[in-house]
Amino acid sequence: MSTDTAIRVQELHKNYGDVYAVRGISFDVHAGEIFSLLGPNGAGKTTTISMVSCLLEPTQGDVSVVGHSIRRDPMGVKAAIGVVPQEIALYEDLSARENLTFWGKMYGLRGSALRQRVNQVLEITGLAERQKGRTGKFSGGMKRRLNIGIALLHRPQILIMDEPTVGIDPQSRRNILDSVKEMNRQGTTILYTTHYMEEAQELSDHIAIMDHGELIAYGTHDELVEIVGEMDRITLMISAESASVMERWRTTDGVHQITAEDGTLNLLVDDSNVVLPRLFESATQAGTRITSVEIQEPNLEAVFLHLTGRALRD
Amino acid sequence: MRVIDLALKDLMQTVRDWKAATFLLAMPIAFTLLFGAIFSGVGNEDDPRLPVGFLDRDGGSVLSVHLSDLLNASDAVRPVALEDEDLAEVKRKVSDEELAGAVVIPAGYTERVLAGEEARLTVIVNEASAAGTTARNGIQVAATRLRGAVQTAQLAAQRYERSSEARGVSADEAFLLETLGKVVDAWEEPPLTVSVTHSAAGDQGEASEIGTSEDDAGESNVFTQSSPAMMIQFSIAGLIGSAELLVLERKSRTMQRLLTTSISRLGIIFGHFLAILILILVQFALLIGFAQLVLGVDYMAEPLATLLMLGANALWTASLGLLVGVLAKTEEQAVMYAMILMFVLSALGGAWMPLETTSQTFQTIGHLMPTAWAMDGFKNIVARGLGLSAVMLPAGVLLAYAGVLFALALWRFRFE
Amino acid sequence: MKLLDIAIKDLLRSFRSAFALVFMFVIPLLTVGLFYFAFGGLGGDDGFDLAATKVQVVNLDEPGSEYGDFSAGHMLVDLLESENLSGLLEVSEASGPARARAAVDAQEAAVAVIIPADFTGAALGAGSAAVELYQDPTLTLGPGIVKSFVSQIVDGFAGAKIATGVAVEQLVEQGVSASDAEALKQEINLAYGQWATELGEAHQDGANPLLDVQSTGDAGEEGTESLTQKILSTTMVGMMIFYAFFTAANASESILREEEAGTLPRLFTTPTPQSTILGGKLLAVFVTILVQVIVLVVIAALAFGVAWGAPLPLALATLGLVVLASSFGVFLTSLLKNTKQTGIVFGGVMTVTGMVGISSVFTASVPAASDASQVAHTLSLLMPQGWALHGWRVVMDGGGVSDVLVPLAVMLALGAGFFVIGVLRFRKRFA
Repeated sequence: MSTDTAIRVQELHKNYGDVYAVRGISFDVHAGEIFSLLGPNGAGKTTTISMVSCLLEPTQGDVSVVGHSIRRDPMGVKAAIGVVPQEIALYEDLSARENLTFWGKMYGLRGSALRQRVNQVLEITGLAERQKGRTGKFSGGMKRRLNIGIALLHRPQILIMDEPTVGIDPQSRRNILDSVKEMNRQGTTILYTTHYMEEAQELSDHIAIMDHGELIAYGTHDELVEIVGEMDRITLMISAESASVMERWRTTDGVHQITAEDGTLNLLVDDSNVVLPRLFESATQAGTRITSVEIQEPNLEAVFLHLTGRALRD
Repeated sequence: MRVIDLALKDLMQTVRDWKAATFLLAMPIAFTLLFGAIFSGVGNEDDPRLPVGFLDRDGGSVLSVHLSDLLNASDAVRPVALEDEDLAEVKRKVSDEELAGAVVIPAGYTERVLAGEEARLTVIVNEASAAGTTARNGIQVAATRLRGAVQTAQLAAQRYERSSEARGVSADEAFLLETLGKVVDAWEEPPLTVSVTHSAAGDQGEASEIGTSEDDAGESNVFTQSSPAMMIQFSIAGLIGSAELLVLERKSRTMQRLLTTSISRLGIIFGHFLAILILILVQFALLIGFAQLVLGVDYMAEPLATLLMLGANALWTASLGLLVGVLAKTEEQAVMYAMILMFVLSALGGAWMPLETTSQTFQTIGHLMPTAWAMDGFKNIVARGLGLSAVMLPAGVLLAYAGVLFALALWRFRFE
Repeated sequence: MKLLDIAIKDLLRSFRSAFALVFMFVIPLLTVGLFYFAFGGLGGDDGFDLAATKVQVVNLDEPGSEYGDFSAGHMLVDLLESENLSGLLEVSEASGPARARAAVDAQEAAVAVIIPADFTGAALGAGSAAVELYQDPTLTLGPGIVKSFVSQIVDGFAGAKIATGVAVEQLVEQGVSASDAEALKQEINLAYGQWATELGEAHQDGANPLLDVQSTGDAGEEGTESLTQKILSTTMVGMMIFYAFFTAANASESILREEEAGTLPRLFTTPTPQSTILGGKLLAVFVTILVQVIVLVVIAALAFGVAWGAPLPLALATLGLVVLASSFGVFLTSLLKNTKQTGIVFGGVMTVTGMVGISSVFTASVPAASDASQVAHTLSLLMPQGWALHGWRVVMDGGGVSDVLVPLAVMLALGAGFFVIGVLRFRKRFA
């Protein structure tokens, strides 16, 4: 492993009997980067990072975290990582300060170093004024900030964040994304899971796309988008469901892929400016009206669609 | 109609939790049996008298034999022969409650008594226990009769000796022993006795004489205390489930949703109340059925009275459950309130121990509790054999409690 | 160090929970407080404020003129109405047997004493008679007291009549004073009566010429007070044990609660060994019970006058209880999948094992319960709570270190067994 590889995942498998949650995935996370695992719910992202965090034992394979194997030296791994779980994991009957103090001790901090660091994290998370309040009485956003703050106490080399923005308001989400970028600017390697394409796009140096336990694509944003080349994504709604219009469109020159989803049709095409008129013409011939059109330039959504035939949000 | 729909929804939620349902039935049955078994002296159904160790160190002397006979004839204690045991072992048996007490006839006892010297039986009891006190009293009675017999025999013997004919020492002694024996035998059928009677379950006020000379009141069914007691106690415990349902409804915000529909607040309260009431009625009915058929507690001797008490009890308990559900903010609070109420009301109401064993002050305060009235009502039926008129007052008090508790719940719910 | 941090965190959370505090302290003290109150704790210097038993007396006795002014029936009534018994009995005379029985049925009286018409005649002359006690079938204590006093009088008369009858019969049979049987009767009667009176006076002076009573229990000056104290002490130890096990179960359940809340998995992501995490949580359970027991012992001693026994045996009994309760709680929790199961399992299992385990506590106040005590004692030893109770009662009965070693050994052995099974199950679960 090269000196700038923070995490190396090698042929990682996890199955529960006949259920294969993770099937032989491998990837590297470079030191100092933000690495996203992108995929829909049930893709195996949480299982993967549970194994990386030493919460689950792999069926096969290994993970090396800053030189420590999860199988042979889990304590070394845990000392190097900070984990932000998807669900908020706080002691609601303790105050913010009490929570941070306790977790700091679990990360090996003591005495004045602990007190100092707790004060810093309270400032970072904006909870200094509410430090004595029971966390059970905090708002959802405050709880999330504290949830993240706990993982930062021991200044981990690697921060593992499991879908930290699920179910929160846009403002809080924005704050979290900005915090992630700031932590990374300060040198923390971040392994981030999400099913939001925009997040992966905004944050990541490298992205791995997962589906059904497999790693189906890996690379930078631009490399991944290359998979779909210059293809545009057109989303259409039509006045009436028509098998014949879809058949016509499938055979229309420049159309690579059509999928139907919740009353909309998603098409991958070469050049929307050229293909769109052909689509309108086919629709008219089939007696169907196109009621709405949306054109998107190549993105990860398109990549996922291309690779799996499904939208990322399925 | 919406009220009934709400009640049915609650019942469905409760019945689906079969473990809770089992708990509500299995627990009171188990404890009724447990306490009934313990207090029925199940180890010796043939002879419920207290076992008292009998250690004869006087070598089977005439007074030892007579004392044994008198103890055998006692209505309170029965002698258990001890062979060659040392005092320490006897004391251990009494301490460990294998025996209620023990009487030791010291060596030379008969000789000293007949010689008119001081001689006492050694009695080992735990005077700090009720059984020990009873055992000591039973031995005292037998000892008094024995010494009375000796006194009688000696008086007669003295008169016999003074009579004109000289017969010799052995004849005098034979006369004394014969007289002694006859006096002891006479105690098997004393000329004056105490007979204990009480009204059996049956017609109101009609006494049936249970027995003469001996106290047969112990033949009454021991479950007449534990059956109503456990039924009442666990009906309060069962409120935990009902109260939690209300709490969960509030937490899941389905309560708030209900309040946006066209069912009135009174309708909501009534719907929940109806569900709790039905659950308690079913619980009571099954427990009464069990007690009637299996334990021989005769609730059905006075069916109307039993029905009235069942209904009144269910109404006040359901009202209490409603109030707990309305007041509790979390499931933990619901459990806490219900458990505290169960303990306080059961203890004060005479479910754990008959109120007659408690102080006057306690009894007075106890009778402020609905549980005391519930116990009174049920015991009037199953223990005293009384009918409808005897349960009117207890039922009336319970209905008043039901009204007050329901009104409080309704008033509190206004602020929901 | 981390083990202590985890334990302290859990203790902090436990002692902040109103729910936990209520079950740890409030309910056991409330229960015993109720018993204290029930058995006259507020009675002040007079001790047990037992309610006077209401008695309806019907004296139908019509002694013949041959007995002069003497009436056995009146004598009995006078005894029952005497000043000495006014604290125990509240006597009123009823107009007739039916009225007296009706008063008992209406619960206006506990017992009706119906003295038959031929009572004096049967006592002093020929024939037999029975004094009827018509009692409330739900009561035992009050009627028992009445029966005791009535029986004394009746026994006295019966004794005198038997004495006279048998003695005269014997003497006449032997040809002594056949012609003067009546005078002989009087003579024997008088002598016997004198003896009985002397015996009675000796009893009233506090002596017992017939029995040398050695008590195994810790009797106080008055039997009633010591019985009361014994009931209270027994109840206190029973409640303490009952709720210690409940507390242990609730505290152990924190493992499941943390698992569901996500804080336990989070703990597993920190560089803290699993054994330290589990060890810290178990230590918290142990300390929680220890604190609970100490607080209850102290408060019970100060507030209710419970005498717990010698310090060293008491400490050993405490150790046994804390180890056994903690480990049983851990064992039970290890059998559960999630907190949804805890309600029924803990409520059901703990209540059943607890009440069976401490069942002998309930026989303490029942007079005719010696056999019942045996049954209860045997049943209770099937439960861990029963062994805890056994050990504590040995100590409270004045047992020394050697006396408490056997129950302690059983408690520790059971505790070790439960602990090992519980920990193994948890380790497998979190492996």
